[in-house]
Amino acid sequence: MTLAHERTSEFLEGARRERRQIVTPEGVPVTVELADYGERLVALMIDLFIWLVATLAIFIPIVWAIGMSGGSLIAISIALFIGFVVRNLYFVYFELAWRGSTPGKRLVGLRVIDRAGGPLLPSAVVARNLTREVEMFIPLGVLLTWGKTAGDVIDWENLAIAIWLLFFAALPFINRDRMRGGDLIAGTMVISLPKRVLSSDLVERAAQFTFSEPQLRAYGAFELQVLEELLRRPDSPESMRVLNEVCDKICRRIGWTAPVAPAEVVPFLREFYTVERAFLEREQLYGKARADKYAQPGQSGGETAKNG
Amino acid sequence: MTMEAVAPDRAPPVIATPGRPELVLKSSEFRKGREASWRELELLVDRVEKYGVRRLSLDELQRLPILYRAALSSLSVARTIALDRNLLLYLESLALRSFLAVYGPRARPAEGLRVFFGQELPAAVRSARWHILIAALCLLVGTIAGFMLTVQDEAWFSTLVPSGLGGGRGPSSTRADLLDKEIFAPWPGAAESFGIFANVLFSHNTLIGIMTFGLGMGVGIPTILLSAYQGLPLGAFIALHHNRDLTVDFLGWLAIHGVTELGALILFAAGGLVIAEKMLFPGRYSRLENLALHGRLAAQMAVGAVLMLFVAAILEGGFRQLVASTPLRFTIGFGVGALWLAYFCFAGRKAKP
Repeated sequence: MTLAHERTSEFLEGARRERRQIVTPEGVPVTVELADYGERLVALMIDLFIWLVATLAIFIPIVWAIGMSGGSLIAISIALFIGFVVRNLYFVYFELAWRGSTPGKRLVGLRVIDRAGGPLLPSAVVARNLTREVEMFIPLGVLLTWGKTAGDVIDWENLAIAIWLLFFAALPFINRDRMRGGDLIAGTMVISLPKRVLSSDLVERAAQFTFSEPQLRAYGAFELQVLEELLRRPDSPESMRVLNEVCDKICRRIGWTAPVAPAEVVPFLREFYTVERAFLEREQLYGKARADKYAQPGQSGGETAKNG
Repeated sequence: MTMEAVAPDRAPPVIATPGRPELVLKSSEFRKGREASWRELELLVDRVEKYGVRRLSLDELQRLPILYRAALSSLSVARTIALDRNLLLYLESLALRSFLAVYGPRARPAEGLRVFFGQELPAAVRSARWHILIAALCLLVGTIAGFMLTVQDEAWFSTLVPSGLGGGRGPSSTRADLLDKEIFAPWPGAAESFGIFANVLFSHNTLIGIMTFGLGMGVGIPTILLSAYQGLPLGAFIALHHNRDLTVDFLGWLAIHGVTELGALILFAAGGLVIAEKMLFPGRYSRLENLALHGRLAAQMAVGAVLMLFVAAILEGGFRQLVASTPLRFTIGFGVGALWLAYFCFAGRKAKP
């Protein structure tokens, strides 16, 4: 039954997010949403941009102070060195200080968590970020500097590095928790952490309309939650149109013969929502939970097949 | 199923009639009773997410875990009694966010680093002593092979040593060349030294060191091969100098940074072997679980190796050419080596977590 609201999200938003459960040390399972590939890419790009700016901000004054041309071998060495130190400190510092997020991850709303639900240890943070070096920067650096040293001897070494890069780039796509190499080693995963707002309760007891038990048996939890979501939508001609349609459908299904005036549509639906919810919640408490209008009371119906 | 039409003013409804007692919604009552504590927790979590736990006052710090546990229990109850989607989603999100606030990394970055270098790193190295031994043997075998091949026929030198690493040295070098331009070459000056330092840090050796570690995921064979392969040019160099009667001076030139650098390479390889072992022999866990359990160990060793490479680069770029005496070079090289050994063997032994 706890998954009914996920099914509603899928129905209303069209997309389905990958979810996992982690068990807190208190023994309560909590649902987490895996981060999308796109979100992670955007977060990485933001972090890389900040890293680049920070590196240049340190590098340019130094080169200027020493007074050498930016293209000389020593200048390049210094740049590589500063880049190396800055990016490692950057990722490790922020993931420790900001509890598993970097500026990029924070902007996108991502967090690094322990896969097993334990605390995120410093060693895990160090591990997953050092591996980034192996996965990304070293092959990338080699590829970038290759043009200068290569000439006619590109052959197998370059190929090996290309395969190396491809393998690590593909890693998040070939495991179900979307872990990159560093996540595998550190036992972490990256989740998306949306903030939810608690809106006001829709329950309303004007009691202008009354519904009988057979009428209330027409629906299950899924329909109830879709109705809730529709009622929560902000006022607009479009949402009014949808509500009118829904109202007609409900009237037809429960055999409501009295006409509902256009101005009364929202009060009618809210009343119906309230009474239906009270009914379904009571039934659920008695072990007769109903997932949707097709399910028999006490069985979760089509839902288990979908979510199990 | 057919539905009987019931006019609203007729037939006694089961749940709500104006005359009867008010409709009781358990989930609504439940929410009314606890909403205040959820809101309080939400505010606290917002602040922790923005500014960190340290900004909370003592009272608030005490409230946080209490409110967090209350929210967890609210979530469990809501899952069984409530059908309010907004409420369920809110509680799921609140429970997760406060879980992360309560169980986030506890240490400050500085404290985390202290624990890491004071306890975790040496303990990780100690626990992998057999892997270190195997990696060291591989390197030794490579070195001996490189030496044996080159000492007989110096043509092997150009085969075994990559051109970038050779730096102009080769079978055509004379004894005087090696002495003046390499072993006792003059100190190039501060800026140049730093350039060498940084360059060395990203040299062939480092690259291969980190690769031997990363390739541990390929169940260890590449790690062992690369480790031995690292020894080949080393052996070739020794042979080249051996043939010109410079063995001791060259070893001194090498030892001042080489002890630390080779130690780092061995540590990298040992880290790779740890990963390989955990993947090959997962014991009672699944391979992935086992990798997660012990991967940190390997990564800690790699961090230690990076640290050692730093020191090696400083020794090589900054000090090697300043110290123009072979006995002194041996002393520094093996002295630093002994310090590493003491650090890895003894640091943090008392502090058992």
